[in-house]
Amino acid sequence: MELVVERLEAGYGEMQVLWGVDLKVEKGSFTVVLGPNGAGKTTLLRAIMGVVRPWRGRVVYRGVDVTSLPPHRKVAMGMTLVPEGRRLFPELTVEENLVLGAYSRGFKGVEEGLELVYRVFPRLKERRGQKAGTLSGGEQQMLAIGRALMSRPRLLMLDEPSQGLAPKLAAEIIELLARLRDEEGLTLLMVEQNVAAALRRADMVYVMEQGRIVVSGPPDKVASIEDIRRAYFGL
Amino acid sequence: MVDPALVLSSVVTALLVGCIYGVLTLGLNIVFGVLRIVNVGFGAFVMLGAYITYFLYKDYGVNPLLTIPVSFAIGFALGYAMYYAAFRRLVGAPELSTLLATFAVGVLIQELARIAWSPDIRGFTWDIGVLELAGVRIVYSKVVAALSALAVVAGVYYLFTRTRFGLAVRAVVQDPEGAMVVGINVDRIYAVSMALGIGVTVAGGSILAIYLQQGIEPYMGIPYTLLAFVIAVMAGLGSILGSLYAGILFGFFEAASFLAFSMIKDALGLDILPYVLTRSAAFFLLLLTLLLKPEGLFRR
Repeated sequence: MELVVERLEAGYGEMQVLWGVDLKVEKGSFTVVLGPNGAGKTTLLRAIMGVVRPWRGRVVYRGVDVTSLPPHRKVAMGMTLVPEGRRLFPELTVEENLVLGAYSRGFKGVEEGLELVYRVFPRLKERRGQKAGTLSGGEQQMLAIGRALMSRPRLLMLDEPSQGLAPKLAAEIIELLARLRDEEGLTLLMVEQNVAAALRRADMVYVMEQGRIVVSGPPDKVASIEDIRRAYFGL
Repeated sequence: MVDPALVLSSVVTALLVGCIYGVLTLGLNIVFGVLRIVNVGFGAFVMLGAYITYFLYKDYGVNPLLTIPVSFAIGFALGYAMYYAAFRRLVGAPELSTLLATFAVGVLIQELARIAWSPDIRGFTWDIGVLELAGVRIVYSKVVAALSALAVVAGVYYLFTRTRFGLAVRAVVQDPEGAMVVGINVDRIYAVSMALGIGVTVAGGSILAIYLQQGIEPYMGIPYTLLAFVIAVMAGLGSILGSLYAGILFGFFEAASFLAFSMIKDALGLDILPYVLTRSAAFFLLLLTLLLKPEGLFRR
């Protein structure tokens, strides 16, 4: 098992957001977490990554309890997050953003990393000298994913990578992630609103509501549940 | 009516003292620029540097120039310790908390200095000669102090713009959460930046002592706190080279307003103190900057 989350609780200040989340991500899988706004999906990824400190529960990555490790240690172990809002460095160039992605590796393998990212996103190569803040939304999303890839992750977590993108581009990004999973042996854990595109590629789906997992299973099974179908698929 | 030698001498003084102001402001500006903490206790660290130079030179005969790296090292260690002891919890805290905390640290250091070293005003003489140029006397030790200030600014500039550490710092400043997810130990970047900022401030105190050589006492740093705030606002908070440019600009402003007030005093026979008025004029400059260009004059 690549990642096991047990009874995870977390929140901000006095406000509890996660109320005991259980989740398993199999190695090499494409796991998707669905749920309405405010369900705690973003907090879940942030707590797994350690950007917010979990209150209770456990996060186990490749058999190691990483619950209380700070994010930089987790990145060094092969976990990374493409966070909500992308969190790029707007005043730095595209290439500087990418190079920083290799920070946890002591900037080792920057050349190969750049080669991989530029092959996947030729658009970024054209814009390499441009400040990240001047990119379009789609390009920024590519850069955020590219930056995450620079750390050569084994577990890539993505917080709504299609947010703010045209549906066609969003679908492309998901296709691309699936391809990276196949080619690079990545494990993907994604939080998403763009349900149709995500489900086409997902192996496992969790549905979150009010800080808890309410339904889980393979996409066809989850999609066949009447309530879920109505709430998320508009069918 | 105006003596040309006096003008030339004012220009030289403005340049030299401006470099000192620049390096002092830089110490304040690093801490603010990275941690968003306004170090109100700034002056105490300046004072500390001045004492380090005074004691090392007076008691051990150490060349004053060599006391600058010593001060930097002591300041660095102090800043690092302070971060983990207190300021770690204050990154992103409400401004009042950080103002009170830095104020408290400043008062503590000042009072400890008064107890340890007495409130006596001290001074030393480090005479390495005088250059006479077109009727203007330029004291070499002041030139050396200004050059040291430039060297420190250049070093910090190099560190922040040309190294991987600098790249990481800029990443943390621009987006701390983004920095976390690429694997930067944000906490450590804050600690090292605070250490650097305090190190530069204490080193700046040594440079100031070499420049002045007099007036070393536990509360000597207080006016420099005020001064550094004015210059930092002019520089653009967090700007490295801006600190130097604004320092020099302020040196010229001070020299010019001093000359102007002296002339007014003589011409009108007024009973005013030109130097004191210059200090109040500095606040006028601060207000003007905040009104017209609140982001600073030297900010890209």
